Amino acid sequence: MAAALAASLPAPSAAPTPAAPTYEALPSSMSTLIDVEAEIPLRFVQLDGLVVSKILKHACDSNSSSPIGLLLGIDLDGVLEVSNSFALPHHAGDDDDKSAKSVARYQTSMLRSLKEVQGDDSIVGFYQASTLGAFFNQNLIDLQAIHQDKLRHGGVVVVHDVSQTARENASFRAFRLTPAFKDAYKKSSFNTASLASHQLTFSSILEELPLKVHTNPLLSAFLGEFSTVSPNTVLGSASALPPSFSALDLNSGGLTKNLEHIVDALDNYRNEEGNLAYLSRQIARERAKADNYVMKRKEESAARVAQGLAPLPEEDVTRLFKIPPEPSRLESMLLLGQVDAYAKSLAETTSTGLVKMYAATAGSGA
Amino acid sequence: MPLGPPSSAINIQPAVSSLSQNVPRTPTSISIHPVALFSILDHYLRRKDDQDRVIGTLLGTRTETHVEIRTSFAVLHSETSEQVAVDMDYHRTMYELHRKVNSKEVIVGWYSTGSNLNTYSALIQNFYAQETGPHQAVHISLDTGVEPGQPAGVKGYISSPVGVFPKPENCVFVPIPVELKFRDSERSGVDLLTSTALSSLPSTSSSSLSSPTTSLETLSSSIENIISMIDRVLTYVRAVLAGEAQGDAAIGRYLMDTLGASTEGDADVGGSAAEMGGFNGRLQDTLMVSYLANLVRAQAEVSSRLALVSAA
Repeated sequence: MAAALAASLPAPSAAPTPAAPTYEALPSSMSTLIDVEAEIPLRFVQLDGLVVSKILKHACDSNSSSPIGLLLGIDLDGVLEVSNSFALPHHAGDDDDKSAKSVARYQTSMLRSLKEVQGDDSIVGFYQASTLGAFFNQNLIDLQAIHQDKLRHGGVVVVHDVSQTARENASFRAFRLTPAFKDAYKKSSFNTASLASHQLTFSSILEELPLKVHTNPLLSAFLGEFSTVSPNTVLGSASALPPSFSALDLNSGGLTKNLEHIVDALDNYRNEEGNLAYLSRQIARERAKADNYVMKRKEESAARVAQGLAPLPEEDVTRLFKIPPEPSRLESMLLLGQVDAYAKSLAETTSTGLVKMYAATAGSGA
Repeated sequence: MPLGPPSSAINIQPAVSSLSQNVPRTPTSISIHPVALFSILDHYLRRKDDQDRVIGTLLGTRTETHVEIRTSFAVLHSETSEQVAVDMDYHRTMYELHRKVNSKEVIVGWYSTGSNLNTYSALIQNFYAQETGPHQAVHISLDTGVEPGQPAGVKGYISSPVGVFPKPENCVFVPIPVELKFRDSERSGVDLLTSTALSSLPSTSSSSLSSPTTSLETLSSSIENIISMIDRVLTYVRAVLAGEAQGDAAIGRYLMDTLGASTEGDADVGGSAAEMGGFNGRLQDTLMVSYLANLVRAQAEVSSRLALVSAA
């Protein structure tokens, strides 16, 4: 019997395809929405309820510090509809090449499988979970830069903040790289001159896109069903989704953790700055040496000319003195962004903490 | 936490037989994660026109008597009047893919939409029982509530063979209780979706949208919620005191339990000085941290600007 059951369906390719698919004429209202070249700019990102819950679960389950997954969907009339997502496996300690290959294999077979059950199978971006708002890291930037070249509209990255969510405020934000940063990244030049010409600071690496959460009517109906109290139950036994008030919890925990994070990030930043300062001192030293040498040669040749001799032949100074290239400031910029993000989340926690404290004392009539 | 219309089914707990030590005990309860539910709904929305119902595999963890469904994925299948076929290759591939991301989740059973339990259900159940063996496979039937007369809800079943000579196409589906379960940290996400869903209900728009809020907005909405609740209780109590409404003893007791806890603090006035001291200390700490955070932000901003200036 099991064999009969297991008799697999005919392969989808062999399935009788409808003879000569007929294309209906598009209604005129839709014709403006045809957007082959991705010319309609994105206005906002729309996250489906399924995706929200999938990201939440992945962020909670995963043991890696920044779990990553891919977002699937479609863009229509300036709205990037994200309708599905799947998690990417986390590789710890594997060598990069091998893990990259296996991730790629995983990705293709997952996409193929989703297509078979009528799911969306076009990648529109990726998501990453982070703690305390510090999502700036090299990994994210690199991945997004790859996507920006390949995907329509350059793809988006949805950042989910685990610690915010634990504090009763599910936080999802959508970003993409700014054109200025993309330009600098393409040239992979992050020296001071390039930064200045692109006006790049940590806050102008990513631009935020408005993000909206969407639930389809069926899901809305279900959630509505769950959160309504059925009339014939006794007091106390509430609905499947009882209201929660943990947002009012006075203990604004995680302050110390947050402070520690800030100190750590600042330390990292100081280290990086120290490296940069060391490198730039070295550059200055080498340059001074080279300048001295050139000056001396000039004086010498001037002296020789004065004495009526032939001037010294021109020499390639760059070969004599190796002036190291100017260091990339990307890392320090990202670290600074992290410091800022930690400080921002700390400021937010304290501001809500203040409100809660006053609210608590207001009740006691003090 | 019932996940559907109340039913009159008695949930039979099978007696623990000391004889069958090697045979795993049958599960007596199921909890289901929202992701699994939402995936099923999504799959249902994406079904082909000729499909009555969709089926898929449930993944999760199990303890001795409890099955926790953590996620689910869709499986291709076809039903005609003569036969049922399930795409096993697909099922295997998907399972392997899921194992790569989360190796702890194993196959625990299967789902279908609609409350129709027929011979094919028994056949599929029989198949999944082989996948989950030696444990029992659980079956979740999800009523989407789109067909008239069928209220939306989720029901969980295990199967037991029936008849003198058990045949795979015959079995009894024994209902067992299902509840929704998720981590506390996921709570806010579910709340976000619920508020999104509910905000759309009164309006006629077919889709609902809302943006995630900041923590201050969440806090203010919670406080407003509390204030409205207090108002509601106050009007009720006043109505009862004025004799306009019949007082309910149970409600009165609940109110006393809830409010009694907070009035104890007011009873001894001596404690309030220490309370005020603690409050002031804490206030200063919080203000200090807030000041520090803003200072760090200002410094970071200045530092990033200086990096640009030094080049000029």
